[in-house]
Amino acid sequence: MAVKGLDIFKLSPKKNCKECGSPTCMAFCMKVAQGAVPITKCPYMSQEAISLLSEATAPPMKTIEAGGFKLGGETVMLRHEKTLVSRNRFAVGLCTCMDDAAVDAKLAEMKSVDYERIGEREYVEFVFVHDAGDGARLTELCKKAAATERCVIIDTENVDNAKAAVEAIRNSKPILNGANKDNYAAMSEVATAAGLVLGVRGSDLSELHDTVTALEAAGNKNLVLDVTGATAKETFANAVQVRRAALKDNDRTFGYPSIVNLARICSGDVHLQTALAAVFTLKYGSIIVMDTIRNAEALPLYGLRQNIYTDPQKPMKVAPGIYPINGAGPDDPCALTVVFDLTSFLVSGVLERCKVPFNLLITDASGMSVLTAWAAGKFSSSSIKKFMDEFDVANKINNRCLILPGKVAVMKGEVQDKLPDWNVVIGTREAVELVKYLRDGEHLKAAEAAAAAKKPAGEKKETVNADAPLDFAKIEASIPEIKVVDMGVSYKQRDPESPKFVTIGERIHCISPVIREAMNTMNPEPILKRAAEQIQAGATYLDVNIGPAESNGPELMTWVVKLLQENFNNVPLALDTANKKAIEAGIRVYNRTNGKPIINSADAGSRISNIDLAAANDAIVIALCSADGIAKDNEERMMHCHHMLERGLSLGMEATDLWFDPLFLVVKGMQDKQMDVLNAIKMFADEGLKSTGGLSNNSNGAPKNIRPILDSSLVAMAMMQGLTSAIVNPNDQRLMETIKSCDIFKNHVLYSDSYLDE
Amino acid sequence: MPFVPKKQVFNAHINEVVLGVGDKATAIGGQNVLPFHTFDAEIKNAPKIGAELTDLGMAEYVMPGEKAFYEGCQTVADMAKRAETLEGVSFLCLHFEGADPNGANKSVDECVKLAKEVSDATSLPLVVMGCKNIEKDTELFNKIAEALAGKNILVLSARDENYKTVGASAGLAYNQKVGAESAVDINLAKQLNTVMTQLGVNAQSIVMNIGSAAAGYGYEYVASTLDRVKDAALKQADTMLQMPIMTPVSSDTWGVKEAVMSEAEMPEWGSQEERGVEMEVATAAAVLAGGSDAVILRHPESIRTIHKMIQALM
Repeated sequence: MAVKGLDIFKLSPKKNCKECGSPTCMAFCMKVAQGAVPITKCPYMSQEAISLLSEATAPPMKTIEAGGFKLGGETVMLRHEKTLVSRNRFAVGLCTCMDDAAVDAKLAEMKSVDYERIGEREYVEFVFVHDAGDGARLTELCKKAAATERCVIIDTENVDNAKAAVEAIRNSKPILNGANKDNYAAMSEVATAAGLVLGVRGSDLSELHDTVTALEAAGNKNLVLDVTGATAKETFANAVQVRRAALKDNDRTFGYPSIVNLARICSGDVHLQTALAAVFTLKYGSIIVMDTIRNAEALPLYGLRQNIYTDPQKPMKVAPGIYPINGAGPDDPCALTVVFDLTSFLVSGVLERCKVPFNLLITDASGMSVLTAWAAGKFSSSSIKKFMDEFDVANKINNRCLILPGKVAVMKGEVQDKLPDWNVVIGTREAVELVKYLRDGEHLKAAEAAAAAKKPAGEKKETVNADAPLDFAKIEASIPEIKVVDMGVSYKQRDPESPKFVTIGERIHCISPVIREAMNTMNPEPILKRAAEQIQAGATYLDVNIGPAESNGPELMTWVVKLLQENFNNVPLALDTANKKAIEAGIRVYNRTNGKPIINSADAGSRISNIDLAAANDAIVIALCSADGIAKDNEERMMHCHHMLERGLSLGMEATDLWFDPLFLVVKGMQDKQMDVLNAIKMFADEGLKSTGGLSNNSNGAPKNIRPILDSSLVAMAMMQGLTSAIVNPNDQRLMETIKSCDIFKNHVLYSDSYLDE
Repeated sequence: MPFVPKKQVFNAHINEVVLGVGDKATAIGGQNVLPFHTFDAEIKNAPKIGAELTDLGMAEYVMPGEKAFYEGCQTVADMAKRAETLEGVSFLCLHFEGADPNGANKSVDECVKLAKEVSDATSLPLVVMGCKNIEKDTELFNKIAEALAGKNILVLSARDENYKTVGASAGLAYNQKVGAESAVDINLAKQLNTVMTQLGVNAQSIVMNIGSAAAGYGYEYVASTLDRVKDAALKQADTMLQMPIMTPVSSDTWGVKEAVMSEAEMPEWGSQEERGVEMEVATAAAVLAGGSDAVILRHPESIRTIHKMIQALM
């Protein structure tokens, strides 16, 4: 039951002593009701009030531990509402009515289910031993079951049989399932004496409710509820209503995990059992007991469970490594991909279907998709080289054919240079197209061609020494001459001290094929065109993402910086690449009239040294409050923030030269995390820090006509929280008008009727 | 104190859509509670099962159980008659895999002829599934909708790329039922329903296919999309998401490695047929528990099992 502030106030000392830090007792009680401060902050609250309140604010469903597993503890009915926390567990059922041969066969069958899937061990976690009225046999089977090192569930309503069985295997901490309205007191005694979880049942939900109430009154709250009814229909109704009562209707009596015994209601129909096990995996079975669990049942059911119990915010991941597919060995070719929730899955599924043996090489790319990872410099020829060395691929695999994802065809040359012994070929853009590609042996033909095209060793390019200091004169001499073209647009002079919101135009990005092509050939026209459009639309800064640019980063960045600044009155720029040398070279030729250069970006993980780069070059740095993965809450965000702030300040930076990025999240997938992001911005602002971020990420995947509406609403809320900058598409008129309007309300610009024309 | 559960009955309900004509016509949807929540209110129509028949015929049915069931069938029409005898089958889904230009590339005329043969051979409602090649499917659906006018078939499905043509022909010109297929995303599902109704297709003639995946293969997206669509349809009374949902299960589940790897390749996994059936059964049960109003299944044992499960829960 949610408690109201007023109810707490009635129990408070009403002294207004302020010792708790709040101005009045009323204010304190309101905060307690919202969970903002613990009630124990008040030194004068009575013990009675404290216990009453902690009961009322306890979680709706208890977390019960058995066999080393957490059961229950759920806060929502459906995974998209937040996340489901304790996956259901499976048990195989034995009965005292089975003979030894049947029992041994059942246990052997159970043990044959034991494999790994996406880094998790999949096996039957519990053995359920049903007492059909033979105490000696029950003890015997429980001992046998305990010897398999699975957690045992002793299923008996006979107190004497229960005692004997518990006595025999109490050290293995079994669950004792069988308390009912008649025997609960004695059963509870047996369970509590041995420190065991007690399973409770009733002929209907009312009886179950009464029995649990009685057990709780006697002090036993270490329970699971056996909701199995006479039929599947009744069992489903029980499971749903118990969970709903606990989570939706705040009935804590039903706030316990459940046992669903399918062995009892499926009368030996193995397939029906699987169907119902799938239903109860989704709908509220905590432990599901089955007659039969072979690999045929385990494969779909454990896969389903793994899917359902993934945190919607943290997709499943596979570990980086070499994965042989279709019985591949050292003589089979390799295909490369990144760790990403679906990509590696899709790819391995597809490869399996085509039946061509393969070694799938999965590299780490901070959970980004192939293309995003490439643009962020997390999936590059260097990272591939590092992976190949780390996993010693060259010595483990003899075949020298290496297939790259089609989307990063542009990397082929660089990868080939870094891995001269390999024949690098380009696969398909989409995983589904791979089947045909592989079946037709396209990769083998391409590998032969790649081998033939290789230059003799002597002619190989000089390897660039990455640590050598840059020769700026040489770089400047090597780039094409900059011509100033009249684009009909000029960048207005800007006061770098202005409090106005800073928009960073995001449209010069190598992920765009037009820009990528222009950068490859150093063709100024498409880049100037995009720059002019963004400046015209009112962008404050322009972001320049040149990708990883491993072979010619310094030259390319020098060229783009000069090109844009000379053409557009020294427009300020954000330099966006994983290549540090490129940033250094870009800043070297950068003109600061309209603002310091921005380095995009550092994080609290592998890219933290970009703060050092900013400090050394007197630049602003965008500091992502994450460390190679999205922060799970604001506590973590702020921890990263302060970590980076400390580093910047210790290197002599101004605090305002670190622009903190809370990482805007996709609303479609993470609706419940949006306020966290907004609150993080407020925390930055309260500490006097500046902030920025890729705001339009929120509307990724939304229909085109909706995105400007979402983006502009979010920017208004974020500016209210104190956001000082954003990386945006300045050609989104609605968004830009909203930003300008908010600047008016924030008193950042002088009022004028025609402010939108500015 | 007796425990009195609170009922969760919604004011809104899922549209009821009838497929087929005559005695064997079948209705899907119509309920105003969550799936199998018979304890909240009576559920108007039990979820329905369709038997998938590929146009490629017997050659594609290699599992011993399938072969035994369809034994003696020469044509797809023979198979349709046989499938009709299976308890729990409420409609047939004719899957034109062979129309795929990258596969057998059967002509549209050939496919239309087959559709007519099957339609003549059985009185069950017919669902027509394409080959996923947009251009070919568009033409195929137009021609079949025309040829089977008056049979009240369902074409599965119109997609974002071809809803105008498919909606106009199947839905408007020939008054058939139209499937609206989207890729596991509530926003896309709603968007497609909205534009189809704007085109003039009656909302009551639309059945959604919100996309699917086999258990273990990104099924969390399917689960959450189903949950959210039902939530929107019932709790928020969103008329653009109240269309009943039909999910083709077998086409996904018989393509994953658990169902494809032979016992010789994976001896520790045991019988391939058992694995295939269990994958089909587990996935079908999950989509039904999530709120699908109909599933399309292939193996006779899966159909028997899911039928039994529906009966057990209703």
